[in-house]
Amino acid sequence: MIRYWGKRFQTTLQEDNEIQVIKQELKDLIKKKFGGSLAIRMVDSGSCNACEAECNALSNPYYNLEELGIHFVASPRHADVMFLSGVMTFNMYHHVIDCYNQIPAPKYIIAIGDCVKNLGVFEKTYAIRGNDLPITHYILGCPPSPKEILKGLLEFAKKV
Amino acid sequence: MRLIARFAQELPEGIEIIDVYDKKVEKQLLDFNDLTIKTLTHKYPAAIWMERKIQDEFGVEFIDAFDTRTLVKHEYFPKDIFPMRKSFTQKELSFSSFEPYEWEKIEGEGVFEVGVGPIHAGIIEPGHFHFSQAGEEILHLEVRHFYKYRAIEKMCENKHPLAIRKIIERVSGNESIAYQIAYFDILAQASQQEFSDSLKRKFAALLEFERIIHHLNDIGFIANDVGFSAALALGSKLSEEARRVFEQITGHRFGFGAIQTNLVIDFSYLNTFLDYLQKELSFFWEWINDIPSVWDRFDITGKLSKEKAIKYGVVGVAARASGVEIDVRNNDFYQQFHYKMQLGKKGEVSDRFKLRFLEIFNSIAMIKSLQTNGKETIELSHFQDGQYMARSESSIGELFFYIKIKNNLIDRLFIRDPSFINWQAFHTTIYNDIIADFPLINKSFDLSYAGSDL
Repeated sequence: MIRYWGKRFQTTLQEDNEIQVIKQELKDLIKKKFGGSLAIRMVDSGSCNACEAECNALSNPYYNLEELGIHFVASPRHADVMFLSGVMTFNMYHHVIDCYNQIPAPKYIIAIGDCVKNLGVFEKTYAIRGNDLPITHYILGCPPSPKEILKGLLEFAKKV
Repeated sequence: MRLIARFAQELPEGIEIIDVYDKKVEKQLLDFNDLTIKTLTHKYPAAIWMERKIQDEFGVEFIDAFDTRTLVKHEYFPKDIFPMRKSFTQKELSFSSFEPYEWEKIEGEGVFEVGVGPIHAGIIEPGHFHFSQAGEEILHLEVRHFYKYRAIEKMCENKHPLAIRKIIERVSGNESIAYQIAYFDILAQASQQEFSDSLKRKFAALLEFERIIHHLNDIGFIANDVGFSAALALGSKLSEEARRVFEQITGHRFGFGAIQTNLVIDFSYLNTFLDYLQKELSFFWEWINDIPSVWDRFDITGKLSKEKAIKYGVVGVAARASGVEIDVRNNDFYQQFHYKMQLGKKGEVSDRFKLRFLEIFNSIAMIKSLQTNGKETIELSHFQDGQYMARSESSIGELFFYIKIKNNLIDRLFIRDPSFINWQAFHTTIYNDIIADFPLINKSFDLSYAGSDL
C-alpha cells in the first residue's frame, strides 16, 4: 500500500466556484441556526432510486456535504430533518408516518424530487397513496442534481 | 430450460397464463369459472414470486404451490380485490384492517429473529430482510419487498404506446437506458421496422456507459462496506465525473429521455473521458489489489453457487460471477465490437467485485469501437396490434419486457426486472456468513428495489 503513498495527490477535482459559494453560505447558516450540525434522515416512499443516487452523490468529493456539518443519520430519533422522496405508495404509507413520528420536534420535511409534490411523471393508481405530511420545503427536479439539492438546502436554511 | 417469466393477462374469454422460457413460450387459457393452474415452483423456485404476484393481482390459484402468502398486498392492503383485472378501475383504496404477515420461521432453542427495514439506515430504497439467528450466525433470511409497489403495469394500460415513455424511463433510475432500449425495441417491432446499424450502435454505446456509471458507484460502495472508505472516495468521484459526461452527451445525468430515433452522440468528447477513465481505473485496480485486508473480507463471503444460480435462473452480474454464461449481449452484433463475456469462478463477493472492474474495462473498449457517424433514422408512429417481447442487458442483468397492443392502445404491459429473479436467490448466499456481512453481500449484488417492486 505504501507504494501508492506518493500518488495520493495526483487526482484532482475540477473546482466549481458556484458550489463553493453556496457551501460557504450554507455552512455559516447551519452554524448559526443549527449549532453547526444538521442531521438528515432520508426516507424513500416509492421513488425510482434516482433521487437516492443524487443524495448519495452529495457525499462524494465534489460536494462533500459532511464538511458543512450536514450528516445523513441512521435513525429518525437522531434527525432534525427528513428528506422525503417518492410517490408515497400504499404499502409504505404507515412506515413513513411511523418514521416521521419518531423524529423529535422541532422537525422539518424537505421533499426531494417532483414525485412528492405531484407524482412527477407518474399517475395515480390504486397502489399510490400520495403524500399528506407537512412539507417545509420542496426541492424540485427529476431528480434534482446534487447542486440543486445544495441550493435547496440553502433556501431551506434561510427560511427556517 | 431457463424460466424468464410467468405472468398473466386478461382476455375476454378468460385469463391467460404466459410462461416465457429462453427457448419457447407457452400459453394456457383459464376459464373465469375455474381460475386454477398447476404450479411451476417445484421445478423453478424463481416462479414463487411470479405466481404469488399473479395470485394477488388476478386471483388465480396455483395447485400444489407451497407458498401461497400474499406478495404485493401488504398488511393494510384489501385482500378481496384483484386490481389487475379489467373490471377493477378504482384509483383510490382505503386501508383495510391490519393483517399480520406470516414470516418464514426457524424454531429452536435460542433462535431469535432480526427484522431489518423497510426503512434502512443508509440512503437506500425500502425493503425488508427478516433474519433468523443463532448468535451471529444466520440460520435463515427471508427477503420481503414490494413496499415500493406503484402498479406501473396498470398505470400504463389504455394509453398510447408513445404516451408511456416518461414512465418507462423512470421505472428504475439506475437502469433507465436499458428500460428505454427494450421499450424502443418493442416500438420498432410494432411498427414493423428495424433500427439501422448506426442507431443500434449508438444505443449500445449509451447502454455501456450507463453500465460504467453503475459499476463505478458499486466498486466504491462495496469496498466501503469492508471499511475501506478511500475506495469510496475515488469510486464516487469517478462516477460523478462519468455522470457529468453523461449529462453532456444525453442532456440528463441519468439519461432520462436519452434514447431517441434521432440520437446524436459526441464520440470524440466521450473518448477523451474514456481514456482518462481507463488510466484512473487501472490505478484503482492495481491499488486495491495491493490491500490484503480488503480481499480477506471479500473472499469466501456471500457465495452464490453455480448450481443455485442455474436453479433459480439468476441473471446478469450475479450469474456471470458464479460462472453461468448468461448475457443478452452475447450475440453476433455485440461480438463485432469487442464484446467479451466476463466470468467469475466462485460467486463470492470478490468475484462480483472483480467482475464489475472487468466489465467496465470491456465496456470502455466496446464504446470506442461502437462509435459511428451514421445519421440514419426511422419514424415510430403507427403501431400494429399484437403481442411483442424484448430483452436488454441492464447493469444488473437481463431485463424482459412485454407489451400487448390492442386498438392502438396498450392492453397489457409486463416487466420482469433482473432484480425480481436475483432477489429470490439472494437468501441462498448468506448461510455461511454472519449477520454483519449482510450489508456487504447486499451491496455486492446491488439489486434494484424499484424495478423489482414496479
